[in-house]
Amino acid sequence: MKYKLIHKTEYKYAEAVNNYHSLVCLTPRTLPDQLCQDFSIKITPEPAEISERVDFYGNTTHYFSLHSPHKTLTVLTTAIVERLTEQTGSLFIPSSVTSGEARERLTTDRATKIAVLEYTLPSPQVKWDSEIQAFAADCFDDKAPLYECVAKLCKKIYTEFKFMPDFTTVNTPIKEVLAAKRGVCQDFSHLAIACIRSFGFAARYVSGYLETLPPPGKPKLQGSDASHAWISVFIPDYGWCDFDPTNNVVPGERHIVTAWGRDYSDVPPLKGIIFSYGKHTLSVEVDVIPL
Amino acid sequence: MLTEASVNLLQSYQAGLKSYDEVLDINGKLKPHWQALFATLEKLGIEELKNRNAEIISKLRENGVTYNVYGSPDGMNRPWQLDPIPFLIEQKEWNGIAKGLQQRAVLMDLILKDLYGPRNLVRDAVIPAELVFENTGFFRPCIDIKVPGPRQLTLFAADMARGPDGQMWIVDNRTQAPSGSGYTLENRIVMSKLLPELADGMYVSKLSPFFNSIQNTVQKLADKSREAPNIVYLTPGPGNEAYFEHAYLASYLGYTLAQGDDLLVRNGSVWLKSIDGLQKVDVIVRRVDDDWCDPLELREDSRLGVPGLLQAIRLGNVQVMNPPGSGVLENHAFLAFMENICQYFLGEKLVMPNVATWWCGHQKELAYVMEHIDELIIKKANRKSKFASIYGRTLSNAQKADLKAMIAQRPHDFIAQQEVSLSTTPSLINGAIEPRYAALRAFMVANESGYHVMHGGLTRSSAVKDRFVISNQQGGFSKDTWIVSDKTEEPQERIVLNTPAAVNKHISLPSRSAENLFWVGRYCERTMAVIKFMTITINVLNLDRNFGGSAKQEHIKVLLQSLTHVSATYPGFLDGDEKLNDPYKEIIGLISDNSRPGTVASNIGSFLNAVGAVRNQWELEIWRIVDLIDNGYHEIRNASHMNSTNIQRTLDGLFNNMFTFLGVIAESMPRDNSYLLLETGKLIERILSRISVIQSNFGVGRNAAVENELIEATLINHHMLVNYRQIYKSHLSVEAMLDMILLETRLPYSLAYMLDELGKNLADLPAITRGERLNEAEKLALKASTLVKLSNIQDLTRCNAAEEREELFNLLAEVARLLSSVSIYLTNQYFSHTLIHHSFEPMDYDTDEV
Repeated sequence: MKYKLIHKTEYKYAEAVNNYHSLVCLTPRTLPDQLCQDFSIKITPEPAEISERVDFYGNTTHYFSLHSPHKTLTVLTTAIVERLTEQTGSLFIPSSVTSGEARERLTTDRATKIAVLEYTLPSPQVKWDSEIQAFAADCFDDKAPLYECVAKLCKKIYTEFKFMPDFTTVNTPIKEVLAAKRGVCQDFSHLAIACIRSFGFAARYVSGYLETLPPPGKPKLQGSDASHAWISVFIPDYGWCDFDPTNNVVPGERHIVTAWGRDYSDVPPLKGIIFSYGKHTLSVEVDVIPL
Repeated sequence: MLTEASVNLLQSYQAGLKSYDEVLDINGKLKPHWQALFATLEKLGIEELKNRNAEIISKLRENGVTYNVYGSPDGMNRPWQLDPIPFLIEQKEWNGIAKGLQQRAVLMDLILKDLYGPRNLVRDAVIPAELVFENTGFFRPCIDIKVPGPRQLTLFAADMARGPDGQMWIVDNRTQAPSGSGYTLENRIVMSKLLPELADGMYVSKLSPFFNSIQNTVQKLADKSREAPNIVYLTPGPGNEAYFEHAYLASYLGYTLAQGDDLLVRNGSVWLKSIDGLQKVDVIVRRVDDDWCDPLELREDSRLGVPGLLQAIRLGNVQVMNPPGSGVLENHAFLAFMENICQYFLGEKLVMPNVATWWCGHQKELAYVMEHIDELIIKKANRKSKFASIYGRTLSNAQKADLKAMIAQRPHDFIAQQEVSLSTTPSLINGAIEPRYAALRAFMVANESGYHVMHGGLTRSSAVKDRFVISNQQGGFSKDTWIVSDKTEEPQERIVLNTPAAVNKHISLPSRSAENLFWVGRYCERTMAVIKFMTITINVLNLDRNFGGSAKQEHIKVLLQSLTHVSATYPGFLDGDEKLNDPYKEIIGLISDNSRPGTVASNIGSFLNAVGAVRNQWELEIWRIVDLIDNGYHEIRNASHMNSTNIQRTLDGLFNNMFTFLGVIAESMPRDNSYLLLETGKLIERILSRISVIQSNFGVGRNAAVENELIEATLINHHMLVNYRQIYKSHLSVEAMLDMILLETRLPYSLAYMLDELGKNLADLPAITRGERLNEAEKLALKASTLVKLSNIQDLTRCNAAEEREELFNLLAEVARLLSSVSIYLTNQYFSHTLIHHSFEPMDYDTDEV
């Protein structure tokens, strides 16, 4: 499947901003099953320079800074991304390694341990306690395949939680999400990662896009797609395997990967330091257009 | 030859020894240099040593040498403690130690490059992966942060102590922004001033080569294409424990002292905000810890760093030493693997052992630690995890079980260390020489051939007997550290470097310093203006009391109300008759209440803060006066316990000291922008305070008897009474007085004189907007000056139908308005630092523990 990707972020400031430093993490990754053919970034007002960099996780980031007063800032990225078909579907089982065996191999196999250790540890936005572990206790069984355990957890989150925009912010702790049983994809992903790590497995946070389908018979609205987040779990003998707890689907053709890290804080799509006193509003429009 | 007495002194010292002491060698024999030192001490006599110690204490105080402790009962600015008896290490032993330190520095540099590079240490199983990925000092954005040249670790400090075998052992590493070298230098300077004879008969290695070496290394880091690189010494600010040292080293090395928001990243380079505009920065020597350096890529809530700094380093446009990320090496767990790392990288054994350390993340080591917990010190591997070291032997069985359970839960978070036996060393304690435990911090800097080790170090000694509490955060004192030999092996070295401050002469004043200097001038003058007028008022009150009179006479009421105006402590004496009839309580409050803006105490507090914030600007003479003012500040806050004579004396003392402060400035300060801003602040304040008194005293016409009293008070306030009497004898008239205080251009406190001076100062400040002959501030000052000079004194003296001197009042109001505009203009032009938008809660302190 080939998509044209358009992501427009606009900040409006009450007071003119004189200095702004920003880090953008919006370039789709090129992976065995994903090809990013074309990427462009346009920033208004135009900065003197945009520097591209590959970060610790292999994600591509862009740094820019602005030094003249402005009240509006627009970051527009576009890309052509081809998602290659993969074996997906409910019958697909990548590896039958049991949870018990997986945990053992994560610590005893040296190369594996070095590769995944940081995804098993608490990270800035993913911490857990016995309560979080208890929530997932009925999903994990050392004798069952790890893949199935994680799938069960994702289903549990999908079933028990309500998707509710604006209920949480990027800084809402997992425990609050767990108590309120609502949130957005980022919250559900953090919760799932916390549960999985609490049982000794490796899970990472994936940031990207999801093509949404309009209701049957209705045309698709412009800007109606959204950036999305899901998780990836390391399964011995297979490797990293993606799960989408928000939609309870196995990520496939319609999921486009931008970046991954330990949690959201490693890969925020856009972050910046503003020198100003005033407030600002933010609007984001995303289009994932099949070609 | 030792005298008998000295044998006695030595003997009595030796009799008190309980453990391995520095004066003895490994065979229990007295070391010759200690013997020589004791002989000198004997000659000096214990009484004289006590006297010198007192001098050292007051010298350190005078020099403003402080080590701030958060939350300490002394508050900020705790004096630095220095023991008059130095710590001696014989040159031959030191040579061996230096080799061990150099090898350690080389290893640390190799580890640093590996961790932020290929991570072969992990891949080849030399260290466990946890040491990287669980290390809170490992910052992923720093993987591509490099400084040019063969070494990444430029500055390194190692803490050492004697192990049980009598050898020095390394117990800790400081790798991100090592502190203490400035205190070490100050210790040496104070010692050589106050106890020069102590070094009789031995040669003591100089410290200055170390600082020369730093300068050379920094110079090499700087852009070679620039003849005079701009080097900035980055401090977290006056709130940091070691701020004294930051300011001290910055001025000693000749670098510009700056805080994070004095700097700005633009177009991929770092710039210093100065009153001449933006100045490109080539090298940053940082004392801000790794995670606080760049809120864009590291701690988001940091207000101490510079957004975009990491990117500027990556682009190669600025060099930072040590590079952000180097704190990764401060993780305690590395000590457990140093022998293996040394084998791996260098194929040799460690020259200097480190304290035996076990990382609990491995089964075997964990079992050992659990078994031997009584003999071990338990620490968290990550340094900044707010976990105090636990001495196993001090625990009850229940506590031990708790600790073990805690370790078992997350074993890889913990390390255990053998308790180092340490050595004791002679220290002056309450007038006697007693043994105290000591440890030594050594300093290294990378140079072209390897690492230069400072010939000396910072010895910290326990204040309490038989216990080892050396952290300066928790008490304890420091010692000068002497590497001694019988004959000099190197030519005598300069104590003063040839490049102090001069290197950076072309660098203009950072905006923040500029603003602080301006406020030093303003608060100094504001304090003096209030004290001056208060003294005048108190004198009049005392006269009134002496000569009777029940209800307060009108002129006294006016003066009291003017006092409220000049100090801007409303409502004060404008609040009805009660305070006017019994003014002393209010006056005491105006002196001592530092929580109330406008009072003497509050103004001095602000003055001292502003002075402290630019402490690198001051010569020693000034610092001495500031210390006296600081003493006065503490006295007046107790004014409520004083009688009026004491109060008067204290106020006079304070006033004289502040006058001296201005005098020393006028006599010694270079006529640069710093001076101009301070003078400008002073003049603005002086004019505004005089105006408020004139308005309050003469804004309304009163009967002649009252006005005569007011005229006299006003003339004193303008330092003009003597002058007036010479001209007008005893004839007092408002007209003559106004003529003098407004227009007499020979008298420094006349409005015309002060406005002219202000205009001259403003003209000399750097012009930012070109093309105009006068800047906005000059125009405002010229306008004020012209208005005053063109005024007609008769018109000003005249009262309207409502008995108001309307013209006088309006003229003065307009001058005050113009001067306020000057102040605002200066703020916008030279001082503006736009605040970083931060949506986060107040932060922790960045600590810089010595």
